Amino acid sequence: MAQEIYSNDIEVGDVMPVLVKAPIDKVQLVKYAGASGDFNPLHLDPDVGKAVGLGGTIAHGMLIMGFVGQAMTNGIPKKYIKKFGVRFAGMTRPGDVVTVTGVVKEKSGNRIVCDLEAKNQNGTLLIGGSFEAALPSR
Amino acid sequence: MADKSLIGIEFPAFTWEVERGKMHELVQAIGDPNPIYSDKEAAIQEGYKDVVAPPTFVTIPAFWSGISTVVLKALKIDYARILHGEERYEYYQEIYPGDTLTVKARIVDIKTKSGKSGDMDIVTRECLHTNQRNEPVLKSITVTVERK
Repeated sequence: MAQEIYSNDIEVGDVMPVLVKAPIDKVQLVKYAGASGDFNPLHLDPDVGKAVGLGGTIAHGMLIMGFVGQAMTNGIPKKYIKKFGVRFAGMTRPGDVVTVTGVVKEKSGNRIVCDLEAKNQNGTLLIGGSFEAALPSR
Repeated sequence: MADKSLIGIEFPAFTWEVERGKMHELVQAIGDPNPIYSDKEAAIQEGYKDVVAPPTFVTIPAFWSGISTVVLKALKIDYARILHGEERYEYYQEIYPGDTLTVKARIVDIKTKSGKSGDMDIVTRECLHTNQRNEPVLKSITVTVERK
């Protein structure tokens, strides 16, 4: 079992483990479409992306939220997460490398609120969000 | 454009059976190797009853049930002009394979905002997910932005 995490050991300003994802590939978008059921052609058909002025396919926003969720539950076990929310700020394309970072912003008793950010290889913000967790205490 | 008279409208509830395989497909596509989503023994070791639904799991019933399309059509929103603005979850209980979720969708807000590239309609939809014991397990809040 993974080491237990206690609210006593967490302080405002603590950073979460950084998650660097492998470059997004087009097959991953097909897999994500099949898994999620989101077959919007903007994510699958480069001709559609070009026709609406995006220059090609863009990744599902929810795939990038999935990366952010992965980073979140790498830091804090899923069972302690009470709220998780994101704003979609930028578009992600095949080949992009997404990095997710997090920092503890608030702590009150055994509850913590952490801010999360996903950025691409150019430092452009793709997602800004946060989560709230209720942790055990010692 | 979104029809503002539909603020508060509730859509007919639908049910969704949670499958182990769909959980695995989602985390495979994301590339999340956390074993609590795919390995029952590992999940039990970590204090769960079985593998658990990953944080963004309810996107699966939202799309595969067709409710997302039903909502867009009811609001007369042009599919080609929408962007996903925000997604938020409140977790009340874990979701496990074999659970039957009942999902009730409701439009909680529609507003028009002026942006740099013109007006936008911002639609907020809430979906309450309850399990087969009628216990609330998750609330999702989805904000879509329709460019005009």
